[in-house]
Amino acid sequence: MNSLDWIVLFLTLLSIVGYGIYQSRRDRTISSYLLADRSLPWYHITLSVMATQASAITFLSAPGQAYTDGMRFVQFYFGLPLAMVVLCVTFIPKFHSFRLVTAYEFLEKRFDLRTRGLTSFLFLLQRGLSTGLSIYAPALILSSILGWDILYTNILSGFAVLLYTVTGGARALSYTHLLQMGIVTLGMVIAGVMVVKLLPPQVSFTDALHVAGKMGKTNVIDFTFDLNNRYNVWSGIIGGFFLQLSYFGTDQSQVGRYLTGSSVGQSRLGLAMNGLLKIPMQFLILLVGALVFAFYQYVTPPLHFDNVPVQKIQATAYAEQYGALEQKHLELQQQKREQVLQLNQAIEHKNVSEIDALRTVLSESERELQGLRKEASALLTEATGTTANDVNYIFLRFITDYLPAGLVGLLIAVILLACMGSVASAYQSLASTSIVDFYQRIFVKDKTEVHYVKASRLATLLWGIFCMVVAQYASKFGSMIEAVNVLGSLFYGVILGIFLVAFYFKKIGGRAVFWGAVIGEIFVVYSYVQELTAFLWLNLIGCVLVIFFAWIIESLWPQKPKALMSTE
Amino acid sequence: MNKSEDGLPPFVSSWRQLYLIIIVSLVLLIALFYWFTVTFQ
Repeated sequence: MNSLDWIVLFLTLLSIVGYGIYQSRRDRTISSYLLADRSLPWYHITLSVMATQASAITFLSAPGQAYTDGMRFVQFYFGLPLAMVVLCVTFIPKFHSFRLVTAYEFLEKRFDLRTRGLTSFLFLLQRGLSTGLSIYAPALILSSILGWDILYTNILSGFAVLLYTVTGGARALSYTHLLQMGIVTLGMVIAGVMVVKLLPPQVSFTDALHVAGKMGKTNVIDFTFDLNNRYNVWSGIIGGFFLQLSYFGTDQSQVGRYLTGSSVGQSRLGLAMNGLLKIPMQFLILLVGALVFAFYQYVTPPLHFDNVPVQKIQATAYAEQYGALEQKHLELQQQKREQVLQLNQAIEHKNVSEIDALRTVLSESERELQGLRKEASALLTEATGTTANDVNYIFLRFITDYLPAGLVGLLIAVILLACMGSVASAYQSLASTSIVDFYQRIFVKDKTEVHYVKASRLATLLWGIFCMVVAQYASKFGSMIEAVNVLGSLFYGVILGIFLVAFYFKKIGGRAVFWGAVIGEIFVVYSYVQELTAFLWLNLIGCVLVIFFAWIIESLWPQKPKALMSTE
Repeated sequence: MNKSEDGLPPFVSSWRQLYLIIIVSLVLLIALFYWFTVTFQ
């Protein structure tokens, strides 16, 4: 990065932090601090919900995922629009009518304090851990750029967000989300345009897509039904539906966003627009990754995209062995480039038989190169003693190596802003659940509004420190975007099951749903450890098991249902 | 404005219609992505 990049990066980040602190000046009560006085319009909700979900991981991992595994990851989001419809019909009117601050308050009104406590605890556990992963993503960038140890960059990333989340409330969050999403969208559009512009003059946008496609990177749709295949249309629609319904319906980091809506209609429209925009946005991010893959068919990519372990291995006895792998990689790339140029010719002349033949040859070359990359990662891991997985570095390395001055700074800012958006929502939801569902409800009742706002600020700070500690261990996971979703799938299904029983099974009481949830969670963790199925299905399994066991327990050991009284 | 229609965009007359638009757009996207997959693979 040169000085222009640093100026762009710091000006962008400082303006967001400053704007966040400025917007927080009005928040003096718990309702205004946690819910912006329930006064925000739909477009705030749409952008805030999108900024919360689209973390730095989205912009770092997703293009890398497309580069290594193709664009099939987009199918993961197919259940999202359907989940938005269910939320608009069921969850939003209920949450608004009870004037809730957290989603878990509803469970005490419907069941009992024990069920509310269990669900809040599962949320805190899951969100606290996954926020650690969200902090790790931008820390990785800073570590790579500055050459600092990941420990210091983790602390720096987590602390920068704390600066305005401790002082700023839901209103500050929402206004900064608006700005962040504007800059993030602009940055990703520019990145997409730049990849196409950097292609050789004779290679057009569609040529690049053909090249990526012939090597399996434009595999967006897979209709094959396979329980052990992570991403296909069915796992996306069914498993993804349950995951997204649970995430948006029961995760306080998202519920807290649409509870800020000025009415049921504004909250509904906010989520409905998210249902329309999310899949195209995710597709475009993955498309950038596929185009980066096409770009590297004409320019030799590094054997391993993370520079740090590559520099470290040079000082070890493995240096020569790694050098030999690099030489082999270079030769294979040159050979493949010739094949790609032949493919371009065949496509131009619409020579179908030659295209088919070259597709087979290129697939074989690609398999050989992937094998070489794996060999290099294993060698780096052995030599440096740390897991060398470079999926999250692919897009970053492309940005820093090939984009012009100024744009590098802007795109690094985009990734950091995305992180700030999601981590800020997470900090706030962790604080609001700790304070509203535990501190205010159980431990310290009947204090003033000012006391609870101060307690919320302290809770935000403490959760920030916890998440930074988790971030330190995040490198043990592979692709971070997958790690976050796996973690969510372990808990979301069970939490969703509890809420679905609350909404749709009026005869089932608190005792049955509590024990149903405990048994369901044990089974989900067991299924994951034993690798019984792909992780997306855990959402469905957890949800169905809670409903099933709660129904069985209620039938054997009935309990008088609790009367529900809304405030409207 | 009727309370139940609060928040509806101007081109939509009911919430049910908006939900239908969301579902139809999902089906169209899947069809478009299928075309994309087949065309470039």
